[in-house]
Amino acid sequence: MTAYDTIVIGAGLAGLIAALRHAEQGQRVLLLAKGYGTTHWTAGCIDVLDAPETGDDPSAAIEALTVCHPTHPYASAGLANLVAALDRLRALCEAANYPLVGDLRRNVRLPTAVGALRPTCLLPAVMAAGDARQLPRAGSVHGTLVAGFRELRDFFPPLLAANLAVQGYAAQGAYLELPPTGRKRDFTSLTLARLFDQPEFRAHVGRQLRRLVKQNGYSHIALPAVLGLEHAPEVVRDLQAAAGALVFEVPTLPPSVPGIRLLRVLERAVIQAGGRLQIGAFVTQAKGRDGRLESVSTAAAARQQRHHAERFVLATGGIAGGGLRAEPSGELRETALGLPVRAPEHRAAWFSPRVFDGAGHPAFRAGVAVDRRFRPLDLADGVAYTNVVVIGAALAGVDPVREACLEGLALATAWAASDIG
Amino acid sequence: MQTVATDVLVIGGGATGVGCLRDLAIRGMRAILVEKGDLTHGTTGRYHGLLHSGGRYVVKDPQSATECARENAILRRIMPHCLEDSGGFFVTTPWDDPDYADRFLAACHATGVAAQEIPVAEALYREPALNPRLSRVIEVADGAADSFLAAHANVASAREYGASALTYHHVVELLHVDDRVVGALVEDLRSGELKRIEAAWTINAAGAWAGRVAALAGVTVTVTAGKGTMVAMNHRMVNTVINRCKMPSDGDIIVPIRTVAVIGTTDTPVPNPDVYAIEPEEITFMLEEGAKLIPGFASYRALRAWAGVRPLYQEEPRLADGLRDAENRDISRAYKLLDHERRDGVSGLISIVGGKWTTYRLMAQETVDRVAQRLGNNRPCRTHAEMLPPPADEKPPTGGDASRFFWLGKPLADVERAADYGDLICECELVTREQVQAAIDGGAANLDDIRRDVRVGMGPCQGGWCIYRTTALLFERIANAHDGDATRFAAAIRNSNAALLHFLQERWKGVQPVLWGDQLRQARLDELIYVGVLGVQRLGDLAESGDAVVTDHPAIATERLE
Repeated sequence: MTAYDTIVIGAGLAGLIAALRHAEQGQRVLLLAKGYGTTHWTAGCIDVLDAPETGDDPSAAIEALTVCHPTHPYASAGLANLVAALDRLRALCEAANYPLVGDLRRNVRLPTAVGALRPTCLLPAVMAAGDARQLPRAGSVHGTLVAGFRELRDFFPPLLAANLAVQGYAAQGAYLELPPTGRKRDFTSLTLARLFDQPEFRAHVGRQLRRLVKQNGYSHIALPAVLGLEHAPEVVRDLQAAAGALVFEVPTLPPSVPGIRLLRVLERAVIQAGGRLQIGAFVTQAKGRDGRLESVSTAAAARQQRHHAERFVLATGGIAGGGLRAEPSGELRETALGLPVRAPEHRAAWFSPRVFDGAGHPAFRAGVAVDRRFRPLDLADGVAYTNVVVIGAALAGVDPVREACLEGLALATAWAASDIG
Repeated sequence: MQTVATDVLVIGGGATGVGCLRDLAIRGMRAILVEKGDLTHGTTGRYHGLLHSGGRYVVKDPQSATECARENAILRRIMPHCLEDSGGFFVTTPWDDPDYADRFLAACHATGVAAQEIPVAEALYREPALNPRLSRVIEVADGAADSFLAAHANVASAREYGASALTYHHVVELLHVDDRVVGALVEDLRSGELKRIEAAWTINAAGAWAGRVAALAGVTVTVTAGKGTMVAMNHRMVNTVINRCKMPSDGDIIVPIRTVAVIGTTDTPVPNPDVYAIEPEEITFMLEEGAKLIPGFASYRALRAWAGVRPLYQEEPRLADGLRDAENRDISRAYKLLDHERRDGVSGLISIVGGKWTTYRLMAQETVDRVAQRLGNNRPCRTHAEMLPPPADEKPPTGGDASRFFWLGKPLADVERAADYGDLICECELVTREQVQAAIDGGAANLDDIRRDVRVGMGPCQGGWCIYRTTALLFERIANAHDGDATRFAAAIRNSNAALLHFLQERWKGVQPVLWGDQLRQARLDELIYVGVLGVQRLGDLAESGDAVVTDHPAIATERLE
């Protein structure tokens, strides 16, 4: 039996960063996860916080939040930990030849696959030319070409272009011809990403783009975020060179290729730092004594496997990630350790009748309450386990989707919680 | 103002109205149907889809039972592609009176409803998920009906005979000459234009809304709206319709239909057919009742809940809120033809009220008989003899006679045959691009109409992927129609945004009552997609209904009480 210093549960952004941090501190780290986290579903950017009230400055918005909402997880994590985590992530991505750009003091607005403009803080460089401030406005000599493939059902250029156009941008949609692939049916974002990793495939696409740019004088080209799984910056560079215009990716419906790229960067980093990853290991049982968690058990093919550690990091996510689950009776459970969940008392108060209610739905702010050191609290506000920390979307008091802070929250709390330990 | 003249105006695009339209047209009368929403916008599109064997009514309402049995046989003949020949069981559970089965069998015999008792072991062999503690099982000829498809088939047939159906046309007033109704003034909700439809006769087939139409003629028709709540489960745990063998009551039937199993229903009178809430207790109750038929029923994944309003006719007006549930269920399911000339001294108007989907054709026949007689048309009804046309994209049956009916594997077989995998817009319900486009071209005015037509957004993900895609296809279709007209092109994107936001709000109403477990997780994933990745909530200022897209007209508002 191997005893670990730290066991991290959950392989989303929070879990991976936490595992990396501990491994880099020289600890023996095991990461257990039922599967991958929500990284496969998101835009693949680092959303820190939607900050309309501070002039799109998320760092100022976090400082304001620390004052107004002292129980918000960002208040406990502190801006410095967020900055440190973002720096570490940037360095990792840079080293992996997948650079991120952006500034904590200024959100960027990027077109989505419907053509809405969504704010984000750090973004992969391959999306950078989509910064709405740089896109040509109506009446300018240039314009944005939004191009895609009919075969990809998760990205529709005409819809995107038309919504940009009604917002005052010069944009047109076009479908490209799919280069010969030997594959006839069912293209997902991942299929195309693997094809774009092949130079001859992107050369074929580049020639079509070139023709369209020559005809219409486009300065920018939006393409679905499928421009290579392994070599995205190279793919974008090649397409730009061929087309003679700036190329940027727009996230598609899941599976998210940019999300998977990030995940791969982190996964490799954890392994390189000596961490051990066990995916497909669903924590089903927790054993504690005297306010300390001693071990967790995972379901395996033929038997339960028990894992011991000095310290545990719970990063299993919220309702989407599977860290929280609701019973028909109206009870929300934390699925791995059975920690108490803070949620509206009655199911009747879980949801707003309007789906896009500005305040979101109370059920999606449910989660595990923690003290300032991210240790889980029981319902009497006592520390449930002194050697457990809870990070990321599993935390109570935040709706990471509505507040547009999913990744920032994961990074800041992961960093903060590893420091305190 | 545009004026059109016709022999007969039919008000209401539910099963009864489209049945009347087809019957009128086949008999050579000129006919126009108006419906304030899409076809099946009302109760027809909001029921569990049971093709009655008649079994449910044998004890309580023998006349309805006999009518159902006869019509069941006719519908199997004329619209097999709309029906699933699932068969049905009436089962005695430990909670039911074991002697009721004898009474039931005798009543089946008396009413002409085919029924046969089978050994419990055989029933369990055929449907292993059933409660093993059943004591008796009686087999009947229940089935499942695609009421959307059937309505479209009726209209398609009526059109072949020269009739027309105008959806999103709302009756503003009935036209009068003295004590005679001579047509209606209708508003086209798409364009806002008023149209005058002059007709020798007007048929009020507005179902739960029939009282409102009658009131426009100054006559009183009291239709109690009986709210029935249903829950769709993401699994066909049975392939046979399962009924409790007892007097009909709440939560006693499970109908496997398409990819889901629907448990129904409740029966609560509501004062307004447009305003009602789905109560959490109703859901809990039905899941508990479902578990008596199928152990573990509540642990299956519930997809959505909805309610329809039964049009229950009462001769004497009674205050709806003075009715108890039990009384409501005792109002006959039989239908009633109201000739307002004899009844109220108002000629030119006839109302057909009450009834149920299975008997829609018979109701139409009797209504049209009366109208035909007044118009001097003596051609016989032929709707029982002529097949309804299958949809244009219908693939010919692959097997023998049995495959004339719809069967669960049919959509997949069609997709595999055409190798359409790359064109699947909705993977849950196997809906292809071609089908979505046909629904748009067929006059769908919003995404909810497309859902009704082809079932996009009805599967486990409740539109997570397909509704983005369908919005884009809708946009491309409207935009192409206005290619070159910059203003209308700009309107097309605003209309499409409105359609998307409208659908997501409508879906939220349906899923909210059943959000727990995996379905809550799904809802959160859908929120991650639509709010997080797509940012559709930011399109609010860029959304506006109009032109071909109708989402928020007061005439079709379905705001529920919260």
